[in-house]
Amino acid sequence: MNPVLVMILKTILIYGGVITLAAGLTLAERKVAAWIQWRIGPNRVGPWGVLQPLADGVKFIFKEELMPNGANKVLFRFAPVIAALPAMMTVAVIPFSSDVIIAGVNYGPLSITDLDIGVLYILALGGLSVYGLIIGGWASNSKYSLLGGLRASAQMISYELTLILTILAVVAMAGSLDLRAIVAAQSDVRDWNLWYQPLAFIMFVVATFAETNRHPFDFAECEPELVAGFHTEYSSMKFALFFIGEYSAMTVMACLTTVLFLGGHSVPFLPDAHWLLGLAAFLAKAGFFLFLFIWVRWTLPRFRFDQLMAIGWKVFLPLSLVNLLATGVVLALK
Amino acid sequence: MVIVKRKELTLAEKLYLPEVLRGLSVTFRKMFEKPITRQYPEEPLEKTEVTRGQPRLVVNDDDSIACVSCGLCEAACPAYAITIDGGETDRAIEREPKRFDIDMLRCILCGFCEEACPKDAIFMSDELELADYSREALVYNIEKLKRPKAALQGRIDYVKKINTRWQTHSST
Repeated sequence: MNPVLVMILKTILIYGGVITLAAGLTLAERKVAAWIQWRIGPNRVGPWGVLQPLADGVKFIFKEELMPNGANKVLFRFAPVIAALPAMMTVAVIPFSSDVIIAGVNYGPLSITDLDIGVLYILALGGLSVYGLIIGGWASNSKYSLLGGLRASAQMISYELTLILTILAVVAMAGSLDLRAIVAAQSDVRDWNLWYQPLAFIMFVVATFAETNRHPFDFAECEPELVAGFHTEYSSMKFALFFIGEYSAMTVMACLTTVLFLGGHSVPFLPDAHWLLGLAAFLAKAGFFLFLFIWVRWTLPRFRFDQLMAIGWKVFLPLSLVNLLATGVVLALK
Repeated sequence: MVIVKRKELTLAEKLYLPEVLRGLSVTFRKMFEKPITRQYPEEPLEKTEVTRGQPRLVVNDDDSIACVSCGLCEAACPAYAITIDGGETDRAIEREPKRFDIDMLRCILCGFCEEACPKDAIFMSDELELADYSREALVYNIEKLKRPKAALQGRIDYVKKINTRWQTHSST
């Protein structure tokens, strides 16, 4: 088949999947919250409430678009796009499966592109998403939005350090910035980075919570203090776009955790598994982390902002540096 | 001044993680417990004679209204929801209401009308649902308020019972 056509098909498949997943996550969030609180959750729209995200989307489209007086008109419109775009673009390099072989023809792995510097690409674009939040907060001309935006930027910059340093330890283990090479280096269960880098794994997972502004670190939209933080003044589809961004970022972070620490699409104890099984394994692992995001949200109360900063700078940063140093020493001596 | 001594945290508590895992295990276990939600329109509330719903007028077994339009409920109503215009009849009881309106938007379901009524003509039914498209439609007239005595019998018996109890224990 035409390689361009294969490319387009893969792109549609992956982006369609991620957007659908983001929509599905809004339902999952409400369902899991309901179960934890002994409720039933959405069950009116469609069987078991599965069409709820669709109904929400229709509602968002028909809502009135409001813009506060004195808001910066260009940036106010632009901010949700900047918030949503990086998360969607980073999906491009994540390898969801091994080589796709249908009827004896090899179509290559299920990922849009293969960058030698995949990790760098994800970090660089992921770092952009903070602009969406702070520009949205600033352009709204509202004190709560501005405070939310400022908090988001302070928090994301602090935790990006931990994120990068823990990833560096993994990169050192694999000796490559290519996500496929990192997955290939952990093809056996015993080689999973989870066993060699447990400290990095824990710090990485916590840092992803802070990076995606999720509970217990959602200070950017902390309701009791800031109404809704950076998206206080947003309505209609612009508001929805912030949420699509948040849920896409969650998806990317879950996929990244899977790739970096849990061997991506490798199936435990089945080194030569079918690619579909590998894809299923990937989705199961990433799905667990997505569930963890929601699960933690409905378990833990919010931290205090100074606690968050203290943990980030006084605990995680030194620990991740020590971890990286130890990894380097061990690798050099081997 | 009171000095509160804070409990010194153990190492495990300072690390957060064990406590976080403990919290996660609690919420995970709760996920599999039975929901306590009632799916309201499909699973209506269980109503008993104690349910104090909207007031309704008693219609006797011979299709005559029990109300004699004395106006006591109108006077007792703290929300000024009741409006009565009296009139004469050819029956042995010579008075009956020509107009008996309860503005259900004003009614606070307190039950004072039921307590005030000397003729056991108005009772709090178990009807609770109150929704319509206009304010006018929610001013209930006499036809909307009439209920056969049999439909209200449970409440009538209950009110009589608690009133009896009240009388026996009262000093006056």
